[in-house]
Amino acid sequence: MAEAIIAKNLVKRYGDFEAVRGVSFSVKKGEAFALLGPNGAGKTTTVRMLTTLTSITSGEAYVNGFDVKRERLAVRKSIGLVPDVSNLYDELTVRDNLRFMAKLYDAPLERVEELIREFELPADRKFGKLSTGFKRRVTIASALIHEPEVLFLDEPTNGLDVHSAKAVRALIRVLNKRGMTVFITTHNMVEAETIPQRIAIMREGKIVAEGKRGELAKLIGKKVIVKLSVEPLTSSLLRALEEYDVSFDEGRLLLEVENVDEFLERLYSLKTELGFRIEGLCTEVPSVEDVFVELTKGCPCGGCPL
Amino acid sequence: MKVLAIAEKELREYVLKPGSISWGIVFPLVFTLAFAVRFGDVDHLAPGLVSISVLFGTTSFVSSSIIFERRLRTFERLLVAPVSYSEIVLAKVLTGSIFGLFVGFVSLLFLRAFMVYPIWNLSLFVLFLVLSAFTFSALGLYVSLVVENPINAMTWLNLIRLPMMFTSGAIVSLLLFPKWFLVVGLVTPMTYSVDGLRFAMLHYYDVVNPIYAFLVLLLLSMVFLYLSILRVERLY
Repeated sequence: MAEAIIAKNLVKRYGDFEAVRGVSFSVKKGEAFALLGPNGAGKTTTVRMLTTLTSITSGEAYVNGFDVKRERLAVRKSIGLVPDVSNLYDELTVRDNLRFMAKLYDAPLERVEELIREFELPADRKFGKLSTGFKRRVTIASALIHEPEVLFLDEPTNGLDVHSAKAVRALIRVLNKRGMTVFITTHNMVEAETIPQRIAIMREGKIVAEGKRGELAKLIGKKVIVKLSVEPLTSSLLRALEEYDVSFDEGRLLLEVENVDEFLERLYSLKTELGFRIEGLCTEVPSVEDVFVELTKGCPCGGCPL
Repeated sequence: MKVLAIAEKELREYVLKPGSISWGIVFPLVFTLAFAVRFGDVDHLAPGLVSISVLFGTTSFVSSSIIFERRLRTFERLLVAPVSYSEIVLAKVLTGSIFGLFVGFVSLLFLRAFMVYPIWNLSLFVLFLVLSAFTFSALGLYVSLVVENPINAMTWLNLIRLPMMFTSGAIVSLLLFPKWFLVVGLVTPMTYSVDGLRFAMLHYYDVVNPIYAFLVLLLLSMVFLYLSILRVERLY
């Protein structure tokens, strides 16, 4: 699978302040990738560099095969950007805003009506009169006017109520399922848990962890919690499970397990050997939030949302 | 085509609003009345008053639109689209010029009521009005891109606009000042607008030959346009 985004040692400096310090990562075509981090970690600056909104101090970046430094217009044609604020034109109607975007991107005007239908937008209402949730939907629709290959979303559910945020997340998942590469920056853990296939965590301008959810959990040394109910619970079973750091919770056994598959194999062999019944079994994988809290602990940004 | 699309958007978003239209009518009306009441006929003052109206109209409009857009981040909509910086700058200057032309014509309409002589050459008047509007619009855009805060932009613009009203001969002829003051007049962009308009309206000029006025305004508009493009490039 080809890469849709490649960042190599990206640096952004504002005077003496280094906002992004040598960030490297890649995103495959069709993948949903999230850049997590507390406020001031450098997420938005990274997106601004990748979308040509701010210059790159040093390093290299490629989007859809185009060099972000040298082929700015080609990059812009192939991407859509949903910024952290809904920045369309208040005095124009939804339809006129989308028509304006279509003209900027040389998109056919029929696409405007398509988007209005698909996103169920109030076409003739002025953008400035819309609710925050609808403004967000229009902003996302406008970023899709030219059917970009890569969609960048900077804090896409910022300031939205629970229902609107849920709707926006569902929309992003649909776009990704259709094959669009999605790049999200967020400090919203629900978003991080539900949208991306891969996550990178930024702190103080650097990526401190990158990988799939399970892989990130390993980085912080957190084990999977297995909740087990057996009948009868015998002392020989407890002795056999001693190596898993056993504790009790409402009559269930709580075991800290590193490798779930190996544990289940052992459990079923013990079942045959000791003759107990398994009445309940579930696992609790460390959340992205656990990983995020652990990796950004003591972050001096002063603006951590947690 | 994209320049026209952006300009059309600017017109609908910022110009075709009751506030902007009223400003474009009230400003020249007040200026005209102020001088007409004091002097009776305003023939000699008319080119200067038209130029002042265009200067204030274009620079105020361009300045507030760019600062507003940068603050609300709607400007980034344009920057992230496949549009060159020159197209964005040209569209902004064009819209400012259109507003300036509107204010200029409104100003002429009011002034005609107090003028004794007819306009000598209306086509030439339109030519100088267009050139003045374009130059002032580009100047206003450049100043607004240099300063970050809107309050600072207005302060800087006023620091430039108010002295220009006097150093350009718009209100008091440069011929009435000491000789050395002509140098100040000649480095004032508005002088070329005032004398160009004066020639078109009254068939005489104070200090600058209309051909030079035309060429200098053309050159200045290109310079301010270029500086604005460079400024946007540097900012983003």
